[in-house]
Amino acid sequence: MDPRVSPQSTVEASTTTAPPKAPLLTAAWAVFRKDVRSELRTRYALNAILLFAVSTVVAMSLGMGPLTTSRNADLPIIHAALLWVAILFAAFTGLARAFVQEEEARTAAALRLSARPTAVFLGKLWFNLALLLLIVAVTTTLFVVMLRVQVGNPGLLAALLLAGSLGLVAATTLIAAIIARASVKGALFAVLSFPLLAPLLVVAIQGSANALAGRGWESGVGALQVLAGYTIALFTASLFLFNNVWEP
Amino acid sequence: MSDRLRLDQAAKILLGVWMAGIVVAMFLVVPQYVGLGDAGRIIILHVPTAWITTVAFAVSAVYSIRYLWKRRASDDAGAVAAAEAGFLFCALATVSGMWFANIVWGTPWNWDPRETTILILLLIYAAYFALRSALDDVERRRRLSAVYNLFAAVTMPFLLFVAPRMAESTLHPNCAFIQGSHCDGIWLELNGARVGQLGDVVLALQGIEQRGDLAVAQVEVRMPGLREVALLTPSFELSSGKPADRPEFPGQQFLLAVEGVDLTNGRVLLNMEAPGTGLLSNSRTFWTFMAANIGFLGLFIWLYRLRADVLLLQDRLARREVAYELPA
Repeated sequence: MDPRVSPQSTVEASTTTAPPKAPLLTAAWAVFRKDVRSELRTRYALNAILLFAVSTVVAMSLGMGPLTTSRNADLPIIHAALLWVAILFAAFTGLARAFVQEEEARTAAALRLSARPTAVFLGKLWFNLALLLLIVAVTTTLFVVMLRVQVGNPGLLAALLLAGSLGLVAATTLIAAIIARASVKGALFAVLSFPLLAPLLVVAIQGSANALAGRGWESGVGALQVLAGYTIALFTASLFLFNNVWEP
Repeated sequence: MSDRLRLDQAAKILLGVWMAGIVVAMFLVVPQYVGLGDAGRIIILHVPTAWITTVAFAVSAVYSIRYLWKRRASDDAGAVAAAEAGFLFCALATVSGMWFANIVWGTPWNWDPRETTILILLLIYAAYFALRSALDDVERRRRLSAVYNLFAAVTMPFLLFVAPRMAESTLHPNCAFIQGSHCDGIWLELNGARVGQLGDVVLALQGIEQRGDLAVAQVEVRMPGLREVALLTPSFELSSGKPADRPEFPGQQFLLAVEGVDLTNGRVLLNMEAPGTGLLSNSRTFWTFMAANIGFLGLFIWLYRLRADVLLLQDRLARREVAYELPA
């Protein structure tokens, strides 16, 4: 045994660099369950985002309601753009919560001790994904009903919404971890996320417009491929970069 | 004075003279372009600044990687300085481009692919500075802004891929950006394939006639959104072998050009051009343009290195102040 390494220091090292005994996915699942449980106790993010989504859609339908009756050729793309704007801003209000709350409640240090960085990231990512899918489901349903949107190809729209949500979460989870350490959190989250989300938005809006207009699956395959590539690239980059963000 | 300093001094003077020369050449050496008038001279200023913007973004990303790897303050200073210089050039390219677009295309903003990309780049730079100003702890500011810089760099390829799909067409002179167009154009024959397609425009050759040194083609144009068929008559100069008269497509800024003629067999080579195409084929313009690229690159390197030195010095001063004020 190396004489310079005392038994005590090895014990210390293993406790400070988190207990790596639990497998990665188990630890990530535990982080996810912890977040869900603490969210269900306060329902802070859930209430705020759902009410935000409802008021956005109602505000849009106040102005857009009469448009549906007149035959407007550009209506699918207008509807698709509005739907994604509603989803985007709902996401901006809620998705930073997972990390910001750890800093505000001063529990980040405890989390650092009890799980590996990658496990923390994956757990928060899943939590954000679950939250966003809920937002998307509620927003889209309300949107379709209240604005009297005719969905020509519901399957393609659902696929695009799912792929877009995956990309959105992959891009914003790391940003949420970054802004949790900054001083003006809310505004900064939108400012930092928006430029990175621009390609995703363009593709998702165009694909969704095709889906609303009732075009076939072949019109949306390109958009789905870009969204999948975007998600994979940003997810991989996040895994590489998260350790640097999560350092105390 | 050491050799290094003397070399720096000489390089600085050379850069100043070089840039002054470019400004003079911009107005005296570059000839007036037929379609654009004096506005065409902007290529000497606009294109190099836009190009430096992307170079600055890449330089900043490389410094960010080095910072996360080695955690040296000098790398962070390099990343910030490159981003700041890049932001300056980005703003210059955007403003000069909008000015030009307003004169030549009639609108300052067109959602052209390059306009989209440069706008997003401007937003990324701004977000990067906003993030830095919102982080108080020095070490954390450096680390997190480097992470954001790299994360933003990952999305750039997608932006470059997606932006051309946003607008139907582009006004920037580059045929590769025109959807469905081939840079080589299409051959139409009076006795064979008379109808062909360039992008979403359908062309039909109606006739070719020789008027002195000019070969004039009559081309029927059908395009989406155009109710009636338009007849355009682009011409070709036989002696020089170059397109002569390039009419505009109805309702669009694109030009139809004849790029080759085979009079005996009744064939013509047709292509579409964006305004400004062929600007660089003039050798005087081309060399001034290349000199401007080199000059602006030198200007960028000088700017960002100077700024990096200033940032490092500020950092050192701040730390010394802290050290002196602490009780021994």
